[in-house]
Amino acid sequence: MEKDDTGIRSDTGSKWRETFHVRGRFLTAIAIRIESERPDANFFVALDEKIKTNANLLIGAPIVLDLEAVPGFVDGTLLQNLIDAIRSRGLLLFGVQNASAEQRTVAEKAGLIPVLIGRDAPTHKVRAEASGPMRSVKRLENKVIRRHIRSGQMVVAERGDLTIIGSVASGAEVVASGNIHIYGTLRGRAIAGADGDENARIFCNKLEAELLAVAGLFKTSETIDPDLRSRNVQVFLEDETLRIERFL
Amino acid sequence: MTQLKAKAPLGKVIVITSGKGGVGKTTSAAAIAAALAKRGHKTVVIDFDVGLRNLDMIMGCERRVVFDFINVIQGEARLKQALIHDKRVETLWILPTSQTRDKDALTEEGVEKVLNELKEQFDYIICDSPAGIERGAQLAMYFADEAVVVTNPEVSSVRDSDRVLGLLASKTKRAEEEGTEVEAHVLLTRHDQRRIDAGEMMTVEDVLEILAVPLLGVIPESTAILRASNVGMPVVLDEPSAASRSYEAAVSRLLGEEVDPRAEREKKPGLFSRLFGASA
Repeated sequence: MEKDDTGIRSDTGSKWRETFHVRGRFLTAIAIRIESERPDANFFVALDEKIKTNANLLIGAPIVLDLEAVPGFVDGTLLQNLIDAIRSRGLLLFGVQNASAEQRTVAEKAGLIPVLIGRDAPTHKVRAEASGPMRSVKRLENKVIRRHIRSGQMVVAERGDLTIIGSVASGAEVVASGNIHIYGTLRGRAIAGADGDENARIFCNKLEAELLAVAGLFKTSETIDPDLRSRNVQVFLEDETLRIERFL
Repeated sequence: MTQLKAKAPLGKVIVITSGKGGVGKTTSAAAIAAALAKRGHKTVVIDFDVGLRNLDMIMGCERRVVFDFINVIQGEARLKQALIHDKRVETLWILPTSQTRDKDALTEEGVEKVLNELKEQFDYIICDSPAGIERGAQLAMYFADEAVVVTNPEVSSVRDSDRVLGLLASKTKRAEEEGTEVEAHVLLTRHDQRRIDAGEMMTVEDVLEILAVPLLGVIPESTAILRASNVGMPVVLDEPSAASRSYEAAVSRLLGEEVDPRAEREKKPGLFSRLFGASA
């Protein structure tokens, strides 16, 4: 599973006279990456297990089905069964990504939207390399925020590091393509390396996070070692796992 | 004291808000308005909770409502006709809301016009916000100079308050047009030391660490508040109680006065009250 960020939220201010207004929306979705061409009982046992351990992350979150690893999975009935099974577990499956033309036809019939603009986390090396030279063209723009990030707020540094001089509340989200530094308590969600930079890190004075993610790999509060709670830590990727380390 | 300033500066708009419902917004709005008025400041308290209309009951003037805030906004009545003069405090007025309309009856222009008119006449304009973060609540905070965020010491209330503090920093006239922030304070209500000691509620320190705004006061959970509400009496106008002392201290801080914390500290319940159940 990966995290996947698509688009940028832009708030156009409050004018309630209009009957509607158009807003960009930064949507965080969860991708379920299918690795087996014939999802069997084992797959569903594993899925149930995942839902049990990460309930607050998965239930209610928008979810896309990633079919990149299974180009041969084109059987309409099987795919429909899989979609039904995922939805019956209370997951809000809405889209499909990395689908072949055939897969897309089946998915669209099942009411899924093909997601084309998603940037994938770099579990696939090829993709990370391909986007490398592209990224160097962009100018680096670091962002420094000198206030608390309140519940419901979201701060994004699209092209660089994000430094927060203040705390990040529970229910708030900070996202950066580079590193995230928090000189305060991190109680909300922090997503570093949002474009897939595996060298990105998260630093915070006090760890109380709901979610930590670097380049698509994440940990939720339930899977964070309780001994690391309330500590000053750094979070980084090592051998494809997310590590949290205390500063001494 | 009220007639002191000949050309008084414009009145200050203070919104009483919280996000979560049932935390004590209206009770606090009534108490703060009455306490300000008692000190001689010409004060009006406005009910923004269109359709529910609780403030006039807490203020004990529900039978005197003829015209309301919505009538004024829609040009069906003049402000003077809708303002209700409190019978207990000379400098206190109430602008009730409508029970038959809904929040769509509030318009940004209408609210601004009424508030501007009130600012000329009053020292303090207290806006009692509805719960939630929808239009009614956003309009109640939009023109505020200061905000009192009413919070109970429990996690969902604190989180909602944090959300509201975020809105105060971005969705207000001050933030959008002047680039300044609304000065926000936390008022902790329904504080119950026994439940905190039992680990059922958050401590004051925990709440302040999360919200990171100055504390205006701590109001104890109290039967005095319930009794006062039931008879339509702002708690500070009722007989002295721990709750009324706490509101008075909070208002002193709101006015920028130093308050000796000992003056408002809850009395430790003696053996007698512990045996027979404390009634604050």
